[in-house]
Amino acid sequence: MNTVLKEENNDLVMYFEGRLDTASAPETEKAVAPLKESSGRDIILDCSKLDYISSAGLRIFLSILKSAKPKGDHVYIRGISDSIRAVFAMTGFVNLFEFK
Amino acid sequence: MESPLKLDPHGESLMQQFREMLPTLKLLEQEAYEQLHRVLDEQDIYVTAFEHRIKSEHSLAGKLELKGAKYKSIHDITDLVGLRVITFYTDEVDKVAAIAKRIFDIDWKESVDKRKLHQLNSFGYNSLHYICRLKTGGPRFELQMRTALQHVWSTIEHDIGYKNDVKIPNEFIRQFNRLAGMLELIDDEFSRLRLVLTDYRRQVQSLVKNGHLNEVPLSADTFRSYLELHPFDRLNRRIAAVNQAEIYTVSLVPFLSLLESFGLKTLGDVQDFIDNNSDDAYQLALSHLAITDIDILSSSAALQYLCMVYVLKHGDGRDGLKSIFDKINGESDANGMLADLMLEQAGTQPFIQKKL
Repeated sequence: MNTVLKEENNDLVMYFEGRLDTASAPETEKAVAPLKESSGRDIILDCSKLDYISSAGLRIFLSILKSAKPKGDHVYIRGISDSIRAVFAMTGFVNLFEFK
Repeated sequence: MESPLKLDPHGESLMQQFREMLPTLKLLEQEAYEQLHRVLDEQDIYVTAFEHRIKSEHSLAGKLELKGAKYKSIHDITDLVGLRVITFYTDEVDKVAAIAKRIFDIDWKESVDKRKLHQLNSFGYNSLHYICRLKTGGPRFELQMRTALQHVWSTIEHDIGYKNDVKIPNEFIRQFNRLAGMLELIDDEFSRLRLVLTDYRRQVQSLVKNGHLNEVPLSADTFRSYLELHPFDRLNRRIAAVNQAEIYTVSLVPFLSLLESFGLKTLGDVQDFIDNNSDDAYQLALSHLAITDIDILSSSAALQYLCMVYVLKHGDGRDGLKSIFDKINGESDANGMLADLMLEQAGTQPFIQKKL
């Protein structure tokens, strides 16, 4: 699992590549820490190269959303594959996030 | 600093006393504000504004120039420190006043309820002014209490110079008073409406609590009351048990428009919708989740699966499923893909087979 954090048009964009599962979750959790500390900027989770997301990955995405919402920041999920979108739908989380 | 207005020696003397008092006044301003603010918070009285200030030298000079002779000492001027609480409703003005009476000593000789000063056939400036002193003593200060509309009236009155020396023609005074009367009526109507709505909410909560759901129309307010009964918990727990999943709580209110679009008119209809579709919703969720190892679910999962079952049973197929995702997640072409996926997985469900 690779993650890259970039600033694009004043947004924070985190690129995910590979499988976000139980094994890669601890490392990813550390990588997303700057997203939780940021304020006043929208966050984009770019999933164009994300092959798989497990419950551990969903929890990481939810924790990012939970820290952004009270600050009035938006969290967008971008470039999500159909299979991962289906995971969001079947768990009922599809309406929590904004998709690009 | 020299005041810009020309004062007589008595006025200048009072101004000097004021300057010497400033440190005391600053402490008083802060202490009075904090004491009242604390109790308003404790009593859950939400005010639209809570202002506090020390009178400016310019404003004091204007007052001294006009009627300086009236004051023997600076302590005779009671509004050097001023607090102003602006409430939403008229009855909240009385509540703030009651709190002020409890936490401050009120100088009743100087305090004015301008709401009661008007003749029966006149309208105008409505505001409650108390001249107060901290229980621990010290200089007096003024506390103004008024509603937002009273504040609007007062500010406009000040702005257009109603109190100036220029004589305003009767025609304009009459127009101004007509507007004041209208604001007073609106203030009373807002308070009355709030009472009616509070009463209505209590009635609805009682009907919901006692299970008379068919008598309760479906609305944002009633749906919220209904959600306090946790009507979707049982199905959520059943679905979560498939993978021993944790349930992540989210708001279900965004689903209200979806339920209304199904033609559900009362909470009784919503309860029937749950009772009639829960088993099928569970089976549909099972078909999706049992083949995964996902162990976290949104608390909206039960309601979402109920909605999917409902549209499929009513023959709305792919379009119906897409409209669910469009309504809860915003319109998007990707929702069509989700609808296709859900439709494909639902195809094997007994409730679909029965329809074929």
